[in-house]
Amino acid sequence: MRRPRFRSLAGGAAGIAAGVIGGVVLTSASTAGPTPAAAAPPLIDATHVPPVLTLRGEPIRLRYGLVCTPRDDSLPCDGSGTAYLRAGQTGAFRPYPLERGDESKEGRYFLDVPAAVAESPDGFSYYAVLRDDASGATVSIPSGGADAPQVSRPLDSPVTVELGRHSFGETRAPSGRAADAPWGSGAENVGLAGSRELGFTGPSSFDVEPDGTVDLLDSVNGRILRWSHGRREEVPMGRPAELADVAAEPDGSFDVLDAHDTLRRYRADGSEQWAQKLADRTWAKLDRGADVLQEPSEQWMPLAETAGPLTRAEQRRAAHTEQHALLVDRVGDGELRIARLRGKAPLRSWRITSGTALGEVQLAEPHGNDVVVVTHAYTDDRDEFVVLVLGDRGVAQRFSVASNSWTETAPLARFRLARGALYRLRTTPAGAFVDRFDLEVPQ
Amino acid sequence: MRAFVAMLGIGLTLSAVSGAQAYHRFWANCNYEAPTFMTTMTRDAGQDYANAARYEGYQWGGGCWNYDDVDSYPNDPPQETGTHGEGGDCSGLTFKTWRESTDNWRDGRYYWRALRNVHGPYTAADFRTGYGAPNHTVAKATAGVMDAFASSTHIGMVFVRSLYGGDQIVEAKCETCGTNIFYRTYRSDSAYGGVGRWGWTG
Repeated sequence: MRRPRFRSLAGGAAGIAAGVIGGVVLTSASTAGPTPAAAAPPLIDATHVPPVLTLRGEPIRLRYGLVCTPRDDSLPCDGSGTAYLRAGQTGAFRPYPLERGDESKEGRYFLDVPAAVAESPDGFSYYAVLRDDASGATVSIPSGGADAPQVSRPLDSPVTVELGRHSFGETRAPSGRAADAPWGSGAENVGLAGSRELGFTGPSSFDVEPDGTVDLLDSVNGRILRWSHGRREEVPMGRPAELADVAAEPDGSFDVLDAHDTLRRYRADGSEQWAQKLADRTWAKLDRGADVLQEPSEQWMPLAETAGPLTRAEQRRAAHTEQHALLVDRVGDGELRIARLRGKAPLRSWRITSGTALGEVQLAEPHGNDVVVVTHAYTDDRDEFVVLVLGDRGVAQRFSVASNSWTETAPLARFRLARGALYRLRTTPAGAFVDRFDLEVPQ
Repeated sequence: MRAFVAMLGIGLTLSAVSGAQAYHRFWANCNYEAPTFMTTMTRDAGQDYANAARYEGYQWGGGCWNYDDVDSYPNDPPQETGTHGEGGDCSGLTFKTWRESTDNWRDGRYYWRALRNVHGPYTAADFRTGYGAPNHTVAKATAGVMDAFASSTHIGMVFVRSLYGGDQIVEAKCETCGTNIFYRTYRSDSAYGGVGRWGWTG
């Protein structure tokens, strides 16, 4: 081996030095990319909880929150707004300026609905436009504005249901088990992710088809697990779907709504057919037909029609408040109002009050002439699901279902109603399963 | 010259080793300036602040982000502070939105700008118990805008209550889902308790 000369050694050292320095400079330049963004468009958002179902004579105050780009002085938006109201569901809207209050816990901007509008037999419809006076940015809520206004309807002689205080610990055992799988990534397993420190996630949603097929969204392993007529199949989707919701469509395809506000339609073989972003910023629930309960509009918006996905503007224009011909309104801490529609007129309605606080409505769907509702009774340290079958004379059937689950799911994806039974997704340290609770035959 | 060229290549390769570390250097954009002491703190200004952190990512143990609506370093390995990515974690986002002090005995209002890298002294479990002078527990049924729900592993703030009885929650949720407003049912989940911040002024 030839002894290296001084020039070679010097050249090599200089090369290493130049390489390292050059590399660091290049790397620094590339990592300096995420600098503070100074010219971002102004942020604007709004919040509003619509009074979908009201009682006769009840004062109605519309409250709105306005959310803007944070100010340098850290004060809230310098905002204003106008609500556009009309009696009933048709005709021209009339503008009413919103007042700006001192408190923002329930929404700083408000309007007391004039009696002439609030007392209309058909209720009223409305939307609002809020403005950040500093930037000039505006936001309409619901996002469809005059094309798809929010509706508020009076309850006509509602059936009154008093639940009293919830009795915890008296849950009903399931009628049977429709599907189960232990944790893992194999063909017989369902995926589990997370840690004790972060919490665990597993199958985040499921569906039950009219023929009894159970479709479990194996979110961690990126596939659908199907239990159908005694056989088990898997449909790979090619991507994980953490905390996503799922709905099986009649043609064998699947809709999966993910945590990034994108709905993807998969063919029966798991190949992706199309993907579409939601019109609004947040979703609560996916229903069949690619209908999505979206926020802040608090409306159901279809994401697809026969020809394919709808644009975001089309979603907004097609928004609707009722779903399965039902209107739902959770009021205050422990009241739930339900109305079943016939055309545009309320057919029947229920006013349900509880001595124990009620949380979310997991499910509200017709069941023959009755309506099945699953809501959530809770205190600060206990909770159970409450199943109500509402009939002409009040509660036709009522039972409690245990709520504890080992992993997190999509928010309103614990229950499905199919084939005269209620199905529940639940997980334990051993795995995931879907239980069936048979309901009494509706009258 | 040949030696120079050969060693230049080796040097560039060596620099790429450090470049893997540079992938995690969003924190190089952050600062450590003092917070601004404030006399007011409204809930809707809190909404403004937390809402602006949406899409900016999640970083375990983090508390620094910009306002470009992009997570500069998504999908880092979870539970590693050393990744130095963009965004807060759940308790860091809450701490900054609630304008708290790094001294847990102070209950004043301290405004931290987005690029100020601070997580604060509290874990989700600390918030859950109301630990620290500015914090307290609240009945879940009464929790409103910018109150929060906390478990032993997570905390999210109420952006607004929702029609179907759940809540829109603004939270730094996880590396893959980032910071955003999500619909959640923490209110009725017995793993979660209600927590609040003393000192709102409107």
